[in-house]
Amino acid sequence: MTVATQRQGGGNGYVDRGGGGSSSLADVVELILDRGLVIDVFVRVSLVGIEILTIDARIVVASVDTYLRFAEATNRLDLYAKGGKDLPGLVQGMTEGGAKGKTSGVLDAAAEKVEEVLTPRGDEREPEEAPRRPRRRPREREE
Amino acid sequence: MYVYGLVPADAQLPSGLKGLGPSGKVSTVVHGDLAALVGDVPTDRPLGTRDDLIAHETVVDTVAAETAVLPMRFPAVVEEDGVVEELLAPHHDHFVAALRDLEGCTQYTLKGRYEEEPVLGEVLEQRPEIRELQQEIHGLPEEATYHQRLRLGELVVQALEERRDLDADELLGALDQHAVDAVARTPGQPDQVVDAAFLVERAQAQAFEDAVEEQGKRLHGRVRLRLLGPLAPYDFVPGTEDQWDS
Repeated sequence: MTVATQRQGGGNGYVDRGGGGSSSLADVVELILDRGLVIDVFVRVSLVGIEILTIDARIVVASVDTYLRFAEATNRLDLYAKGGKDLPGLVQGMTEGGAKGKTSGVLDAAAEKVEEVLTPRGDEREPEEAPRRPRRRPREREE
Repeated sequence: MYVYGLVPADAQLPSGLKGLGPSGKVSTVVHGDLAALVGDVPTDRPLGTRDDLIAHETVVDTVAAETAVLPMRFPAVVEEDGVVEELLAPHHDHFVAALRDLEGCTQYTLKGRYEEEPVLGEVLEQRPEIRELQQEIHGLPEEATYHQRLRLGELVVQALEERRDLDADELLGALDQHAVDAVARTPGQPDQVVDAAFLVERAQAQAFEDAVEEQGKRLHGRVRLRLLGPLAPYDFVPGTEDQWDS
């Protein structure tokens, strides 16, 4: 799932690269929905008659889930450490497949979720207000 | 009218920009020393598809590769008259000054994530109480150990967060010298080490990338780094965050 686009030289490739047109959708979403100049701070009339899809790309992982996930990962590590004695092949396979799959699982899920939300599917979606916008109270116009 | 971002009036736009509207065109509306990058808006469908987001980002980042730009947050739609009357004219000097500050600079975003196995191994090695708890749970059925497992995860997360603070400080310290400015965010996940944006002079871009590569090498096997950029200076747009509070 890693988007290791080794664009431009970049040396030996210890660092995954993205951005500048080769970003993953999740990166794009984070950049352009979370940051940048906010128009309704500056402009009184905006978004007139334009429907905006609801986009909530943030995947919030509740802390209980997070704790259990790391407990599970830690316990799996134990299996791996002891695996050499009894079931090396089997356990190692589980650890690699399992651990890697698990860690990237959350991100994959996030990316899939984002794609799901963002892929146009006609009218089944209810258009609502702009994402996240309402949460921040637009300040009075700056003079 | 869709607004992608703001640029200096004399900026040369790269060719081949493709907007999100039906015409795909991106042009400028100029007022004084300032120009808005604008295009048409699809009227037959809601805005916000995957392609819309990517078009917005690609336009802004492509322009940013050559000139200073203040990227708008998605989605920015204004009535045609409003572009000058409400956006450019009233805030002309403010935006021009902001663009001047960003002139010659580009943004990189750096993210880092722990490699799970080696770092959890470090945690177990250095924290006997976590190791003990893990041994206690070992081999018992999941249902019988829910609370212990919750506690184990909590301790592991705490240990990761302590570790991360140290690792992040060291990492940012090593890269700061190549950047004009830097903003670090608190990572949302315990195994994320860093989520930081750097404002880098274009002339220093290669040096910065090399420095990141160097850090990637140093941390290889423990932390996986991911570098985005060069990007438009999304994190260095002035007068957004502080405006909510003041």
